[in-house]
Amino acid sequence: MRMTRREALRVGSLSGAALLLDVAWSGQVAAAPAASFRPNAWLRVGADGSVAITVGKSEMGQGVRTSLPMLVAEELEVDLAAVDLVQAVPGPEFKRLRTGGSGSVYGSYAALRKAGAAAREMLVSAAAAQWGVDTSGCRAINASVIHGATGRRLSYAALADAASKLPVPDNPRVKGAEDLLLVGRPTRRLDGPRIVTGRAVYGLDTRVPGMRQAVVARPPVLGGSVVRWDATRARAVPGVRDVVQVPSGIAVVADDTWAALQGRDALDVTWNDGPHAGFDSVAFRRRLAEAAQGPGRLSRREGAGLAALASAARRLDATYEYPFQAHAPLETMNTIAVVARGRCEIWTPTQAPEQVRDEAAKVLGLAPEAVRVNVTLIGGGFGRRLGIDYAVEAVHVAKAVGVPVQVMWTRPDDMRHGHFQPASAHRMAAGLDASGRLVAWGHRKAGSYLSIFPAPSAADMDDPAHWQDESWGAYDIPYAIPAIETDYVLVDSPVPSGPWRAVYSPSCTFARESFLDEVAHTSGRDPLPLRLDLLEGPSPVTIGGLTIDRTRLRRVLETAAAKAGWGEPLPKGRGRGLAANVYDGDTHVAMVAEVTVGGDGVRVDRVVAAVDCGPFVNPLHIERQVESGVVWALATVFFGEITIAGGRVQQSSYGDYAVPRLRHMPRVETHILPATVAQPSGIGEAPVPPVAPAVMNAVFAATGRRLRRLPVRAADLA
Amino acid sequence: MPPFRLVVNGAARDVDAPAEMPLLWVLRDRLGLTGTKYGCGVGICGACTVHIDGRAARSCQLAVRDAAGPRITTIEGLSPDGSHPVQRAWLEEDVAQCGYCQAGMIMCAAAFLQQKPHPTDADIDAAMSDSVCRCGTYQRIRRAIHLAAGSAR
Repeated sequence: MRMTRREALRVGSLSGAALLLDVAWSGQVAAAPAASFRPNAWLRVGADGSVAITVGKSEMGQGVRTSLPMLVAEELEVDLAAVDLVQAVPGPEFKRLRTGGSGSVYGSYAALRKAGAAAREMLVSAAAAQWGVDTSGCRAINASVIHGATGRRLSYAALADAASKLPVPDNPRVKGAEDLLLVGRPTRRLDGPRIVTGRAVYGLDTRVPGMRQAVVARPPVLGGSVVRWDATRARAVPGVRDVVQVPSGIAVVADDTWAALQGRDALDVTWNDGPHAGFDSVAFRRRLAEAAQGPGRLSRREGAGLAALASAARRLDATYEYPFQAHAPLETMNTIAVVARGRCEIWTPTQAPEQVRDEAAKVLGLAPEAVRVNVTLIGGGFGRRLGIDYAVEAVHVAKAVGVPVQVMWTRPDDMRHGHFQPASAHRMAAGLDASGRLVAWGHRKAGSYLSIFPAPSAADMDDPAHWQDESWGAYDIPYAIPAIETDYVLVDSPVPSGPWRAVYSPSCTFARESFLDEVAHTSGRDPLPLRLDLLEGPSPVTIGGLTIDRTRLRRVLETAAAKAGWGEPLPKGRGRGLAANVYDGDTHVAMVAEVTVGGDGVRVDRVVAAVDCGPFVNPLHIERQVESGVVWALATVFFGEITIAGGRVQQSSYGDYAVPRLRHMPRVETHILPATVAQPSGIGEAPVPPVAPAVMNAVFAATGRRLRRLPVRAADLA
Repeated sequence: MPPFRLVVNGAARDVDAPAEMPLLWVLRDRLGLTGTKYGCGVGICGACTVHIDGRAARSCQLAVRDAAGPRITTIEGLSPDGSHPVQRAWLEEDVAQCGYCQAGMIMCAAAFLQQKPHPTDADIDAAMSDSVCRCGTYQRIRRAIHLAAGSAR
């Protein structure tokens, strides 16, 4: 079976959960030191009553090192702060450790709660046996078991040895929603004190004995290569120890970062610019917009599809455009590698540690078991660190120099050699009947596949499921419209690209929700009731591989609108805009943005968000992810754009690739809806897609101007 | 290489380094003080902010020869135990996401509050907009600064 893009991004959570079940619920207690026990691979109760969980997810700001312990502490009845964390190292015991697809919580939710509940039941059984009473009269509280009738009490430390000899229950009872004491309550992050004192150790802060620092000179043109190089001057820089060629370029290895940087500056390299030296992103974006006018490969057709436009009383057409963008996390790419005696050890801020291990093994001709990958704390992931290029590069350098080495990317390295969010263009068409009702919808995306994934196969070309997978937010339009046709025009691109926050959704949702606003204004309707009416239809509905619950989407729309004061008058120059989206079939989000447009451009004053991500673990994390998603998306609306001229990425830092600063921060209000389903869904990405259309719809409300091309520049508003 | 005597977090530290080596790399690679972060190397992101005689400075823009003499304070030395009002306010508001920029943000905020103990939102916007947080923690930073200002009263 073909693995879809969606599955590729999610595999960590889905398979991770399956693995938990395989390993954990066979009734076997895994080998463990005497007197400690492990109801599954992820949880260990020590002989002293200590509790440690292994975290299979990378911490990159989503709060996983707090929310996952919360799940165990809740069921096991221990103090959250007493739960120790161990970062999983890929190996036979811990597989599929990928962190992506917003899946940190939903992929662990059931398994970790079940593990905690199993351990609790084993401890309770051990206590009941010791007292010769029935377990029903005993309860766990505060790392102890208490016998209600007699008030007798035994600590987990006193019970761990006996509990370790009991079978792991197959179906422990997890708490009902009404019994939850911790899950669902705002909980501050456990690693906060380390962060505010500078003691949190990120990839770049990791040190190993004998380690040297390296930087790599890479070809300035995408797809370029080294012709020849002379390191005479570089080697003369004090502190430079070695200069070696690796597949990505020329590595300068030195005693410290500064010496490595000076050495790299002194390198004399002649580059072959390769086949893409003529690539220009301005021309490419024009090509995308042109390609979007032509026929595409079908991803979905409902009713008569585009043919229905012919009989419409009125027709609207528009093209929306989305730029190339960089992840630009604050911690640049970096990795430590040590290659010695037929083994390799790696420390890296990665979202994909198993891929790092397997690729390193390949490079070194070793078995994967000979490679150990330590996942460090990550200074911003956003999907960039699903790519493993920087880790593999460090392995090459370490192999060449034979000493432990940390390869650091400078900010310009990071900005120019990322795998970018690809540009796309969206050709929209809508048909209204004589009464102004929306009866036909067309959305054609012209874009490029993400180059860190395999290229579409010949079989993919005529498979609507494949093109659905490349156009989240377009084909899965949640609204009930009699005729819908969505398709995709593949435009080849030499620009390295990969997933970023919300992957394909931000561009598609920007086009979809903005164009729906155009439909509303054209038909003289308020955008809120228009959407609510379009969500009346049957619910839930299956679209491709997704199930869309229109009732939940209505609920978030109504909530966001009510909290934002939708419909209340605003002074001249100000406007409100609305957008909604179901991300990945799971998390339902609606947003209302309020803007002021004046002489100095657009100011986003306020964003009101309503989110429904099912049962939630830590509302503080959810609020933060919404605030974060707003800032992330505002960067795409008003700030950064990666441009490429002569095959060279032109940006180098946060000056020419601007990002929002504190003064740009709107007031963000997050309203979390109570769960109506049993399974949680992700929140890391879902807040991103509705932001751009909500803001641009607000700009339209304030000015009457429809801006269809991102990022918005001052001239667009002049 | 000439030795430089730095005063870092109250202690004298002798460093052999090229005179033009930025303080950032001296702190991180020579003195093991990795709380001060590399973000851009050109003084536009604020991740490397330290205090020089109590004033915020970009350690990536300060050559070690110019750093010898004055009192240098890094995030590790802002308080002995994380109890600086700004650090406490940061914990109270649970500001951090990935946390990588936060040391720089805290150092900026602490120096700023020394200059302006009771800032308005506009003061905070002006003072804190030279630093980048890619996770977008700005709303909580604003609140934490107000909180720290209140508790310092």
